[in-house]
Amino acid sequence: MNVLEIRNLTKKFGDFIAVDNMNLSVREGEIFGFLGANGAGKSTTINMISSLLRITKGEISLLGKNIVKENKFAKLNIGIVPQDLAIYEEMSAYENVSFFAGLYGLRGNLLKERAAEALEFVGLGDKHKDLPKNFSGGMKRRLNIACAIAHRPKLIIMDEPTVGIDPQSRNYILNSVRKLNEMGSSIIYTSHYMEEVEELCTRIAIVDHGKIIAEGTKEQLKSIITDTKEIWIGVKNEERLDIDALQRISGVISVQPEEQTVKIVSRGEVGNLNWIIQQLIKDGVEIGSVEEQAPNLETVFLTLTGRKLRD
Amino acid sequence: MDLWIIGNKLGLLVYIILSVSILPKTGTPWDILAYLIYLCVNVTIPIFRNDARIQQLLSACSAVLVVYFAYRLDTSFVLLLPVNLYELVLLWEGRRRIALAISLIPLVMIPREELPVYILSTFLSFLLYTGLRLQMERLKRVDEERETLRLEMQNLSHLLNKNQEYIRQSEYTIKLEERNRLSQQIHDEVGHAMAGALIQMEASRTLLAANPDKSAELLGNAISISKEGLERIRLTLKDMKPRSEELGIHRLRLFADELSAKHALKATVTHEGNLDVITPMQWRIIHENATEAVTNSLKYGHASAIEIEVRVLNRMIRSSVSDNGIGARKIVKGLGIVGMEERAASVGGTVIVDGAHGFRVTTLLPNDKSE
Repeated sequence: MNVLEIRNLTKKFGDFIAVDNMNLSVREGEIFGFLGANGAGKSTTINMISSLLRITKGEISLLGKNIVKENKFAKLNIGIVPQDLAIYEEMSAYENVSFFAGLYGLRGNLLKERAAEALEFVGLGDKHKDLPKNFSGGMKRRLNIACAIAHRPKLIIMDEPTVGIDPQSRNYILNSVRKLNEMGSSIIYTSHYMEEVEELCTRIAIVDHGKIIAEGTKEQLKSIITDTKEIWIGVKNEERLDIDALQRISGVISVQPEEQTVKIVSRGEVGNLNWIIQQLIKDGVEIGSVEEQAPNLETVFLTLTGRKLRD
Repeated sequence: MDLWIIGNKLGLLVYIILSVSILPKTGTPWDILAYLIYLCVNVTIPIFRNDARIQQLLSACSAVLVVYFAYRLDTSFVLLLPVNLYELVLLWEGRRRIALAISLIPLVMIPREELPVYILSTFLSFLLYTGLRLQMERLKRVDEERETLRLEMQNLSHLLNKNQEYIRQSEYTIKLEERNRLSQQIHDEVGHAMAGALIQMEASRTLLAANPDKSAELLGNAISISKEGLERIRLTLKDMKPRSEELGIHRLRLFADELSAKHALKATVTHEGNLDVITPMQWRIIHENATEAVTNSLKYGHASAIEIEVRVLNRMIRSSVSDNGIGARKIVKGLGIVGMEERAASVGGTVIVDGAHGFRVTTLLPNDKSE
């Protein structure tokens, strides 16, 4: 079952097309990554999913229900962690969470229970009476997350939740994203930190100029560029290389000795570095350095769009 | 539409009949004659549906009659005036508000007690007509839209057929070219070698008894020529790859050279990866999109260099045209870009247009290796 289904979605601001005929589906239990440079249309799409922006054309449905027609249902089942912090500095952490949970439709004892739970979840249980204006950036971010998850939405959307925070809070947030996912929420995660998306997401869409230019697991995305990896080994005495033996190692496609280095092209999915090095040692080759070049999402993005993620 | 007008008139007429005949005063035969004449004239209007002029005339007649009756018989008749006026306006395709204004003129002439009813009738008719008019216009618009969509679909399916035909054609052409090349090569290289060997062998047979040494030498020649021929056959067969990729990249190069020659800019073509996997259809899209992108660059970009790049990746083919011109901060999609997008979409690809650093149009096409 698809939690979210986006069909032919378009958003225009005057002449400018921010989102261009986008088609996308997020399956249940996924952490879906939205990868793109600033201004690629990620936030616009998210604002349309959360009904903050009107849809120019197309359709978005949540759990099979159109979010425009069944707006209330959509609001109750989506939790949004916005890019810009949305918390009241003058209200205590607990008051903040219960205020937002109330907006999402929780009442009475359930609200109290869930608000406390959410605060506990993001590690602010002991700070529930404190005012956010005294919080660090990371703590504010975590509170921001607590506000979005108290009503236990089916779909949680996190728009750049790790911008401008310390590494510790960042790890905490990444772990809580995983935990939320294990607890049964599907998650849409946008970021222009390629490493985060690569580490966290089960499926990823690369967005550029309002279009999805590639979509799939990270392996699928990488295989768009190439199936192979390059291993560069710096050698001191290349005359001792036994090229035939190296070529017989499983996965190796070609061996090209150059001056002081040997370049080995190998199939990407085969882990054969151990065998290669063993062979080199057996031949008495002195290894200076080993460098493996496999594509990462950054290279995928760069190759497809010709631009860097943070241009 | 006609039915609505008739209904409107009928409603008003019945009201007048009621107010004239059944209420205190009794109707005279003249009144009844007036009703009948009015009915006749107005029933005739829809009959002449095909002739607008007669309709206008009749409608005007009816309006004059109504005024006349109101003047001579009963002021209630004036209630029918607005409907006629609207009808006239409708037939003349004029403005509704003018009709409203005209129909309000009699206000000054009619007796006070009729005023509210007259105003009510005027505005009710106005409302009805405005609604009807809008509805009609919308219907017309929807109809037109449907028509354009139909035409577009026709064009598209035509294009599709043409493309399919093109694929078929080019496959055929490639096969033909390949066959020609093969037979040419076999004739040129292998044929000559075989003929040479044959001559040497025949000479050797003739000399076999008389001069065995010479004969052995000739035979040796024949053997070496045959060996060479065999090697050539092997090479020819090995070299049998289709040349479509050369056509493709050659065409792009030619295009770039022409650009450099005709305009004050430098155009370069680079490529990477195995071009063999690009199908003729894909080449065609790459070429057409490149032409379009270059046209854009020339028109708006003020560029001095254009770079065309074709890269074959594992699962995608990426071709991009970038210039070093002024670019565009805001990209407004014109027909050109839409056309490129449509072409790419026809084989499941996308187009990205980026104006941040100069102008760059990237076409991404899927690379189906299975084909």
